[in-house]
Amino acid sequence: MSDIRKWFMKSHVKGNGGELKPTNPAPSHSETLVQGGQESSGRRKTSKYFATDKQKPEDEEETKELPAKRKTQKDSIESSKPTPPKKARNVEDDDDDFLLPSSRKNLVDVTPGKKLKSGLGRGISRKPVDDEESDEEDDKDTETQKSGGRGRGRRGSSAAPAGGRGRGGGRGGFMNFGERKDPPHKGEKEVPEGAPNCLAGLTFVISGTLDSLEREEAEDLIKRHGGRVTGSVSKKTNYLLCDEDIGGRKSAKAKELGTALLAEDGLFDMIRASKPAKAPAQEESKRPVCKAAPLPKKSPQKTEANKDSVSNSMEMKASRGLTPGASPAKRKNQTVEKNTLTWPEKYRPKIPNEIVGNQSLVKQLHDWLAHWKEQFLDTGTNKKGKKQNDSGAKKAVLLSGTPGIGKTTSAKLVCQMLNFQAIEVNASDSRGKADAKIEKGIGGSNANSIKELVSNEALSVNMDRSKHPKTVLIMDEVDGMSAGDRGGIADLIASIKISKIPIICICNDRYSQKLKSLVNYCLLLSFRKPTKQQMAKRLMQIANAEGLQVNEIAVEELAERVNGDMRMALNQLQYMSLSMSVIKYDDIRQRLLSSAKDEDISPFTAVDKLFGFNAGKLRMDERMDLSMSDPDLVPLLIQENYMNYRPSSVGKDDDGIKRMNLIARAAESIGDGDIINVQIRRYRQWQLSQSGSLASSIIPAALLHGQRETLELGERNFNRFGGWLGKNSTMGKNRRLLEDLHVHLLASRESSSGREILRVEYLTLLLKQLTEPLRQLHKDEAVQKVVEFMNIYSITQEDFDTIVELSKFRGHPNPLDGIQPAVKAALTKAYKEGSKSRMVRAADLVMLPGMRKAPKKRIAAMLEPSDDGFADVNADTLAENEEENSSDTEDLDSTANGEKLQLELQSLNSKGVQVELDLKGTGNSGAKKTPVGRGKGGSGSTEKKGGRGAGAGAKRKR
Amino acid sequence: MLWVDKYRPKTLDQVMVHQVIAQNLKKLVMEQDCPHLLFYGPPGSGKKTLIMALLRQMFGPGAEKVKVENKTWKVDAGSRTLDIELTTLSSTNHVELNPSDAGFQDRYIVQEIIKEIAKNRPIDTKGKKGFKVLVLNEVDKLSREAQHSLRRTMEKYSAYCRLILCCNSSSKVTEAIRSRCLNVQINAPTEEEIAKVLEFIGNKEGLQLPAGFAARIAEKSNRSLRRAILSFETCRVQQYPFTSKQVIPPMDWEEYVAEIASDIMKEQSPKRLFQVRGKLYELLVNCIPPEIILKRLLYELLKKLDVELKHEVCHWAAYYEHRMRLGQKAIFHIEAFVAKFMSIYKSFLVATFG
Repeated sequence: MSDIRKWFMKSHVKGNGGELKPTNPAPSHSETLVQGGQESSGRRKTSKYFATDKQKPEDEEETKELPAKRKTQKDSIESSKPTPPKKARNVEDDDDDFLLPSSRKNLVDVTPGKKLKSGLGRGISRKPVDDEESDEEDDKDTETQKSGGRGRGRRGSSAAPAGGRGRGGGRGGFMNFGERKDPPHKGEKEVPEGAPNCLAGLTFVISGTLDSLEREEAEDLIKRHGGRVTGSVSKKTNYLLCDEDIGGRKSAKAKELGTALLAEDGLFDMIRASKPAKAPAQEESKRPVCKAAPLPKKSPQKTEANKDSVSNSMEMKASRGLTPGASPAKRKNQTVEKNTLTWPEKYRPKIPNEIVGNQSLVKQLHDWLAHWKEQFLDTGTNKKGKKQNDSGAKKAVLLSGTPGIGKTTSAKLVCQMLNFQAIEVNASDSRGKADAKIEKGIGGSNANSIKELVSNEALSVNMDRSKHPKTVLIMDEVDGMSAGDRGGIADLIASIKISKIPIICICNDRYSQKLKSLVNYCLLLSFRKPTKQQMAKRLMQIANAEGLQVNEIAVEELAERVNGDMRMALNQLQYMSLSMSVIKYDDIRQRLLSSAKDEDISPFTAVDKLFGFNAGKLRMDERMDLSMSDPDLVPLLIQENYMNYRPSSVGKDDDGIKRMNLIARAAESIGDGDIINVQIRRYRQWQLSQSGSLASSIIPAALLHGQRETLELGERNFNRFGGWLGKNSTMGKNRRLLEDLHVHLLASRESSSGREILRVEYLTLLLKQLTEPLRQLHKDEAVQKVVEFMNIYSITQEDFDTIVELSKFRGHPNPLDGIQPAVKAALTKAYKEGSKSRMVRAADLVMLPGMRKAPKKRIAAMLEPSDDGFADVNADTLAENEEENSSDTEDLDSTANGEKLQLELQSLNSKGVQVELDLKGTGNSGAKKTPVGRGKGGSGSTEKKGGRGAGAGAKRKR
Repeated sequence: MLWVDKYRPKTLDQVMVHQVIAQNLKKLVMEQDCPHLLFYGPPGSGKKTLIMALLRQMFGPGAEKVKVENKTWKVDAGSRTLDIELTTLSSTNHVELNPSDAGFQDRYIVQEIIKEIAKNRPIDTKGKKGFKVLVLNEVDKLSREAQHSLRRTMEKYSAYCRLILCCNSSSKVTEAIRSRCLNVQINAPTEEEIAKVLEFIGNKEGLQLPAGFAARIAEKSNRSLRRAILSFETCRVQQYPFTSKQVIPPMDWEEYVAEIASDIMKEQSPKRLFQVRGKLYELLVNCIPPEIILKRLLYELLKKLDVELKHEVCHWAAYYEHRMRLGQKAIFHIEAFVAKFMSIYKSFLVATFG
């Protein structure tokens, strides 16, 4: 179950990934070097407060060296309107709530960032600074860039959220896809191969539909060759790539700025031209590109940075960010001194915009926290009509997501941003239920202090809040609350209810059983894995800041390998940095081959790989991993699909003998797998599990891997889901039905054969006896005969259906064919009629006096021969029963109903009345119809569906 | 009422087919000492009938007043408790159950439940037997562990409890158990005997039997008396004044298996294998026991097979039948048999006809 959920989630994430992509536009390569760890975004918002002025000149110089970066189309959407780059934007940005705090924070943020780790309390000092800052900053804009590293940081911070998903349409957004037409000559032109860096430093904007390339393809092409694609035209843009002048905003702007227009063919030519010339120089050019450009610029910045670092210890990072590009030697030194921190700690985002991915969630969290007070404390000024979604409705928030994607970081950052003092409690603290008396435990158990914290905030509310730090409780790893933290969740919920401070809970698996109750009290925010591009961008910055030479593909590979876990990626990167300063794609591949984080692949993918054309090249441990990815489902999928593959190993095989032989071997091996599985499950021989997957998956796949072909007309050429599960459950159901029939027959005292014999030998005749008369004889006569027969063998209407059901074979005529509907109806009617005076000698869940275990016991029949007098009494009393019950039926659920009947039956029993009753029908269908007929003899045919379901249900209940 | 049930002999004296055995059993019971009994023989040979008649002989007509119970037992199996559900058929003096219904938990049935039943000694022993009888069906389907536990139970409670075991094949019952029982082999009735019974029934029902009709049914019945009587009645339902040429309708599933067999013979390809799998599933879903499918399939295949292949095919059928018993997912093994057959047969065809 959970696996299935995972697959869905996964694709979901992927879908989102597309959307997220734009959020993090990549900075130019050289910029990154300068900026250090700060995330920056190459989007126009960037320039909001200051960056633009100085950035522009810089950028102009730099353009030449800009290597490929991720680009966003979304920019184009947004940016098309604000033509004057800076001023207009400023205005626009100001309306953006979210943006404001973060952008203001810039300068200050550098400070807090570091402190973050050391804890709380910095919020206080920051706020005042922030206030002044906004004014200052505008002034600063005009100055030359005072502190390079920081400046960029600021820029980044303001940019990302604003640009992001908050605004809607990203390039990857599904919506946008539909609007663009397909390229007229799609796929007709040969896409040239050029030197990898031939477009380095050039910035392109793509507009409209291209001649042969999809926009994504074009982007990819440009990026592959080192170019940069942005979404909107600006002064930095070198070319506007468009084949037809659609006269949109982009082209208008391009004309205004005098940007060159470039057709697709022109682009191809550029790339082709580069090939011979630049190819050899590629390796060479890379270094200079990275280093040369930053150098001149760097010096002023660096000094500045250094200055800062003197005044502010926080600056460590900025300076570090600056230096690496400068000279290798310096870098070395620095590595030594900075080794004190692991990279994940060191580059923990200091401002919200640095968080990779999930910006909208961060924003949501921010909103929630920002409005928390109004929502829950100042009820008087309760703002109902908030413009964001009504995220404040819950008192606590639950962040969930896989490890390493920044949940804790986001939580802390948001707190910081809003000047909340965060108190973090995680798995390392004991979080059991607090002592009932709070006074007892203050200073003692952690839980008690939380309690105190949560409930005592009332005091500080009265004080001047602006001076007083507001507090937030961060409960980290709530799903880890287990053995030691008894009652932890319950206590947490209680705390949430009374809390005077916001509570942020963080967990990995929000569907965990433990959290079931908690989920109801929390606003749920599910963090998704960032896309590899998003991660790559950030990793790139960090690598550059650390002076690592990493090419982009390598970083993306890394991002992909770690499967969304930023922390893991950083750890890997740091580890690799110890031994090498240039990291290439192959290094990463090699390194992570062994240390790859386990990722869950769907059984389908695993089977695809195992059966794939190249599966022969897989190593044994890889195959083992694949087949073990889901040791239950993979064998079933293999079994379902193995005969669809045309084995690539047989070579020439005209009459198919070889293939047939291989299939026979594979089938036998699958059988082996089944046998081993029995050993594993039944005798708990888990050490056999490897042999099991070898026999059930690897050997068949190894024998038959190759091209898949379809065996059935109209079948899709994909692996089918294993049919066994479905068939097995149908089989189980039918077996239960058959068992019911069997019990009824046994109860009739006329037959004593076993169930299998009943099926194999009796059933054909039973069916004939039940249906032939209906076909041949006159209606009334037939019905009478059949009902008589049913009565003799205590066959109920449901059993009748069972018999028919079990006699159906695909490709054979339905056993009921040729029977007039009218006759069927008459039969049903006659049967129901008869049921009033009939005793069906079968009963379920009857409690017998003196039997303590009664509810567990199902007495199918009591075969004391009962004379008619008894039967009459029975019928009467039962009828009464039913009447009483029918009034109850509505509000009682099935079990209750059943119990009630039992009780009544018990009283009957004590009167010495023989009760023979079938309660099966009283299951879930009770409310639908009056249970009268059913109570006695199983339901009439109108209710047979429900009746059957109920029968099954009853069975399960037992 | 179906004729099978209507004309089932109720006492040992009424038995028509295994009269010698019936008389011996009667003597055995008369002497007041009844050992554990193991009845074995093919289906439809009359084991159950004999057992019921025997019980009646022992306990009088009271043995027929049976009640059906579907009980759930809580069994303490080491670390956890299991709920085992079982249908029992019991009278005051005997309990009949089918331990293999509990699947792989049959061991607990044998260990706990039988013990529990066996311990409850009938209080009123005056003039009656001082023991209870426990009838266990399908002992050959018991797992090895269960059979091992069974032998201990048999000895320990033999004072109060006699076991009557019933199975199709004694070879699947362990040596230890067989040696503790008096083995009673019930052979399948001969075709003549069957025909005699059919004619007897025909007389009682007042039917006109064309000459040789009973013999034909008997022949088709595979020497199963029950089968014969059932198909006799089926014929009756289908068409009454019997004609000598009347078709004896096969069982629905047999028909289907025959189709599968001819499918397999016609074409041996992955595609066909895939279709066969679908049909096998169809049979399984309709609750046809996989062993019976495999057996019938082999039977149908052998009918059409060249002599030289018969031996090999039988070997493989036995091989896969055994594996099916070891495993759990019957379809895998039947399919493996079909695949194996296809592979063998195809090679044979190519070798023979080029």
